[in-house]
Amino acid sequence: MVHDSKIRVLIAKPGLDGHERGAHVVAYGLRDEGFEVIYTGLRQTPEQIVSAAIQEDVDVVGLSVLSGAHLSLTSKVMAGLRAKGADDVLVLVGGIIPEEDRKALQEQGVSGVFTAGSSIKDIAAFIRSRVRTGE
Amino acid sequence: MREGKKKIEQAARRWEAEVLKPRLERFNLEKSPTTFHTPLTTNGSRFLEKVGFPGQYPFTAGNHPFEFWRAHAKTAALFGFRPDWGGAGGVGKYGGFGTPADYRDYLLRMQSMGRRGGPNIAFDLVTQCGFDSDSPYAEGEVGRVGVAVDSLRDFSVIYEAYTGELDIDRVPSNFTINAPAAVIIAMYACLAKKRGIDLARLKGTPQNDILKEFIARGTYIFPPGPSMRLFRDTCVFCCRHMPSLNINSIGGYHIREAGATRTQDLAFSLANGIAYLEAGIEGGLAVDEFAPAFTFNAFGGSMEIYNEIAFQRAARRMWARILKERFHARDPRSMMIRQPITAHIGCSSTTLQRSLNNLARAVIGGMAAGMSGGIPGAYPPFDEPLGLGHSQEAVQLQLDATRIMIYEAKVADVCDPWAGSYFMESLTDRTEEDALAELEKVERMGGAVAAIENGYMPRAVAKSAYERQKQIEAQEELVVGVNCFTGANEIDVSINRVVEATYDPELMKTAEERQKASLARLKRERDGRAVTTSLNNLKGHARDHDRNLMPAICECVENDATLQEICDVLREVFGEAQPVKL
Repeated sequence: MVHDSKIRVLIAKPGLDGHERGAHVVAYGLRDEGFEVIYTGLRQTPEQIVSAAIQEDVDVVGLSVLSGAHLSLTSKVMAGLRAKGADDVLVLVGGIIPEEDRKALQEQGVSGVFTAGSSIKDIAAFIRSRVRTGE
Repeated sequence: MREGKKKIEQAARRWEAEVLKPRLERFNLEKSPTTFHTPLTTNGSRFLEKVGFPGQYPFTAGNHPFEFWRAHAKTAALFGFRPDWGGAGGVGKYGGFGTPADYRDYLLRMQSMGRRGGPNIAFDLVTQCGFDSDSPYAEGEVGRVGVAVDSLRDFSVIYEAYTGELDIDRVPSNFTINAPAAVIIAMYACLAKKRGIDLARLKGTPQNDILKEFIARGTYIFPPGPSMRLFRDTCVFCCRHMPSLNINSIGGYHIREAGATRTQDLAFSLANGIAYLEAGIEGGLAVDEFAPAFTFNAFGGSMEIYNEIAFQRAARRMWARILKERFHARDPRSMMIRQPITAHIGCSSTTLQRSLNNLARAVIGGMAAGMSGGIPGAYPPFDEPLGLGHSQEAVQLQLDATRIMIYEAKVADVCDPWAGSYFMESLTDRTEEDALAELEKVERMGGAVAAIENGYMPRAVAKSAYERQKQIEAQEELVVGVNCFTGANEIDVSINRVVEATYDPELMKTAEERQKASLARLKRERDGRAVTTSLNNLKGHARDHDRNLMPAICECVENDATLQEICDVLREVFGEAQPVKL
């Protein structure tokens, strides 16, 4: 697929976790960094997130989880993306992720984990380094 | 102050010219990095009107000359009594995980270590969002951020840890529950009935603050309108049958944590409080019958110590005025902002980087609390941002820091030590003015419910969260170890957190499966017909707006209808809240 426009990012809140601050900040921040950002709102099932990612034809999915349910929710989203042939989508996870779970997330296929204290600029730079535009 | 305004003005001008200006020139500054305040800062000495004495209207100086805990502080130290002064007074530490049996066993273990307070229950998100453990929405979340409660049977298992001298008529319970608060309150009432305890003797606090869920915390179920009907019904039920139970715990805390500015936090919290007062009155209560049973939850949440002190003072004064002037309350207890935790830094002020620094941060919050009418609690424990659950070590350091502030620094030996400070009085006035302007904006939209329905309050908070992040990234706001002092010469100090994990990870892993099995057993064993009848009855009552739903919900709970079954009936009648888009 040729991207001749902005990188498209879906920020999603899987599961029942209601902590939205991180998702809001990243959504606004990436928008200001020049990305096209879609925010799902709270309480999305992995299936809803996968179908939104495909419908919106996004390059990046950012999952925000602060409830401790990140491993199971992320693995379902990853499996859903694979099943729909969308495994080229870059998946990032943010929230409260214990150090020891980073590796497990990476093994699931997550490209980057951004916890508290991460900067928007770093997240934006990371996305730009992984998603090529204007090819 | 009889020096005369003119004389002070002259002196101030001289000081600026002869002392301040040369200093600024010497350091090549346009503006002073500090401020200094004189009698000119405040508009006169309206002491009685603006401050007053502690325990008297307008309560700026505090709700009481001293709080109950202060009266017992010395005794507690001499006897080694361990109240959880990191936060709330008579209530145990906030917690909950796994199945009801897992949590019960944990509570028993804590009691064997000297904990005496009642349970302060964290429910898992499944429960908070009105689902059962066997719902597809529950997968991966059962027992994770709190204990799973599907039925009265589950609720009763938790309380097996509270009998004898810790029975529910002796210790208070706290429930962090909002959207399904009516169901949990009904469970509490039914448990008391089963134990033969008079409802009037029940103590405790359900959070029961649904409006801030739409602004900040996200565990809503029904749209704001019907949610307020449920609030009204719990308010009337508690007031009539459980007069020792607090009705709610109105949260500034969560709103600030979601990113609100201090002004938004204060204005939105008071707007929510006003909506709850109106709901009680709609339910047919007189304001002084129920307003004394309102509580607030940890107003505050920043490192800015002066501002947080002013915030507490302004909040007390504003609420008192609203009650007196607008709702014509006469009972002083109606006018007080009662909070177990007062000023504090807010969990979002803690940093993952060099996390032991969070202890120093929490002490600043404790100082703010101690100097503005609260327990000088060092909250939260330093390992707050490291993951879910605090280590025993972090809690020990938190408790000790609080004790050091109380006993060694004697922070709480003076009531409102800032009263009369030119600086603090003017800051308190400004805090009040700003919040009042924002509150008026919300009121012009039609009040809290309208400002949620039109998205104003949630979006305003989201935008403020982003503004704060931008300030940090632009180094306009400095956070030690995060955007400054991060060089190679700084070292990361850590301590061992060797004590076993607060919650057994093995139990956490199997909680979902065990809870689902227990729910399946309940569904097999209960009287299915009684469940159906009581749920149908509830549906009928729900359709009639004027009817109080609590008796019907109590009947459902007693017949072992599950929390989700009850909420599903209400979803059918009330509809469901929609997530806010940006």
